[in-house]
Amino acid sequence: MSLPIIEVDRPRSYPPRVSAFTQRFWGALQEGRFETTRCTACERLTFPPKPFCPHCWSRNISWTPLSGRGKLYSQSVIHAAPAVFRAEAPYRVGIVDLDDGLRIATRILCETPPELDSPVEIIVFRYADGPLFGARPL
Amino acid sequence: MSQTVTILGAAALRVGKWQAAPDAPTQKLEHEVLADLVIEAMQDAGLDRREIGSLTFSLPRPYTQQKYFGTFMANYLRLPCAGSVSEIMGNGMTAGLAFEGASNDIRLGRSRVALALGVNFETAISAAEHMMSSMRTTGDVDFHTPFGFTPISWYAMDAARYIHEFKSSREELASVAVKNRFHASLNPIAQFRKLISLEDVLAQPLIVEPLGLYEVPPRSDGAVCLVLADEDVARAVGRPYVRIKGRGFFHEGAHQINEVPNDMIALVAAQTAGRTAFAEAGVSPDEIDLAEVYAPCTIVEVLVSEALGFAPRGRGAGMARDGETTLGGRIPICTSGGLQSRGHPAYVTPFYSFVEILDQLRHRADERQVANARLALTCAELGNYNAALVHVLEAVH
Repeated sequence: MSLPIIEVDRPRSYPPRVSAFTQRFWGALQEGRFETTRCTACERLTFPPKPFCPHCWSRNISWTPLSGRGKLYSQSVIHAAPAVFRAEAPYRVGIVDLDDGLRIATRILCETPPELDSPVEIIVFRYADGPLFGARPL
Repeated sequence: MSQTVTILGAAALRVGKWQAAPDAPTQKLEHEVLADLVIEAMQDAGLDRREIGSLTFSLPRPYTQQKYFGTFMANYLRLPCAGSVSEIMGNGMTAGLAFEGASNDIRLGRSRVALALGVNFETAISAAEHMMSSMRTTGDVDFHTPFGFTPISWYAMDAARYIHEFKSSREELASVAVKNRFHASLNPIAQFRKLISLEDVLAQPLIVEPLGLYEVPPRSDGAVCLVLADEDVARAVGRPYVRIKGRGFFHEGAHQINEVPNDMIALVAAQTAGRTAFAEAGVSPDEIDLAEVYAPCTIVEVLVSEALGFAPRGRGAGMARDGETTLGGRIPICTSGGLQSRGHPAYVTPFYSFVEILDQLRHRADERQVANARLALTCAELGNYNAALVHVLEAVH
């Protein structure tokens, strides 16, 4: 199942670096899949994905899909932006608690102030140079 | 046996915009400013320069041309040191950790007198350019920064959550900025001293919703020198001094957000560090006469006052609105004017907290004196209060 994909006709303002390990995450995201790593020893998820488990330090991990659903824990609109984001300002950001039990921070796609604790879905922004994830109210 | 650490003297540059543009014909140079403060602080302490054994500097901003600033200063001041000479970095907690470095040398008996000192010059760099660096200090460069988060945007999300959970309001939070400006109006080293009203605060342009210009910290230059000494030295001088009575530190093992959802606005690090410091000092929060906390935004002062036990959860904003944290109130907080109005030269900001406490506990704070101040608290932090460093301090006359 693919996440909703929004095409953006420009490169990302501040692209993430990709490692031999995280390229799997960004590659999957480009195709509309939101994945992370799970510890095969203690079975806990982590985000961002890591080549080890931060909870028990086991190196035995596997990739697993995330539900792509969550609740908005908090949000803000940034008006005073760093130089590379100035053309985008003001823009909305937020903290999302995923149904999988993980907390992430990301862009929020929403014109009006969203209600906190309301459900959101993870979306993919497919820029000219690669993907970023985001969230929007359901 | 470990030594008891005291603060015996201080000198501070008035917070403001001091850094000249790179092409200005004359520059205000960091080492000249700081050397002047070292001499003034040692006079304030009543000590001879030969007694100094350690120099613990806060790291200057990358905009300071002179690199290896600490060892350069040891030369500029011609100060041989048998304790240590170091430059400390720890995000917003930088000057707090530099203070710790100087304290530890005294505690361990390596030095009898130690300077905690530093300079933060940054205002010649525009905010948009400065944020190109600071956006990489808060959060994950690959998994947060690409979305455009800025350091204060995390505090803004604290504010949104606080308003949501406790039915507070921007107006209630903004009362902190009005209170802090009133305090700054009485502080000769504050950056902004003109009184403002709640309407003024609410009329400012939004910076990170729901916070406007007066609810977030300004850009500032500053410099401080603190003189620390073991208690035998302080007693021999015979002047009033401040004794470190308790200390607590906690890092929650998270950076900005906890990947395991938690109560983000409980500020667990401040709660834990506070408990440790109170226990070591043998005092409770209600015995504290005043607190000088690291709170870049209004909301942060509210949250940390709750986390340290000065207000029940959800009451911090109401407490500020009702004047309980204003001079003359139940627990005056940030009598210096706080980060919004005294100013926020980030890498030396925690030094300024100690400067204020030293003034207050030596009863030299003039119009902003907290009557009979005897016990005070400072708190420094980093990230979104992911770590906290708390000191309980006591006046000795």
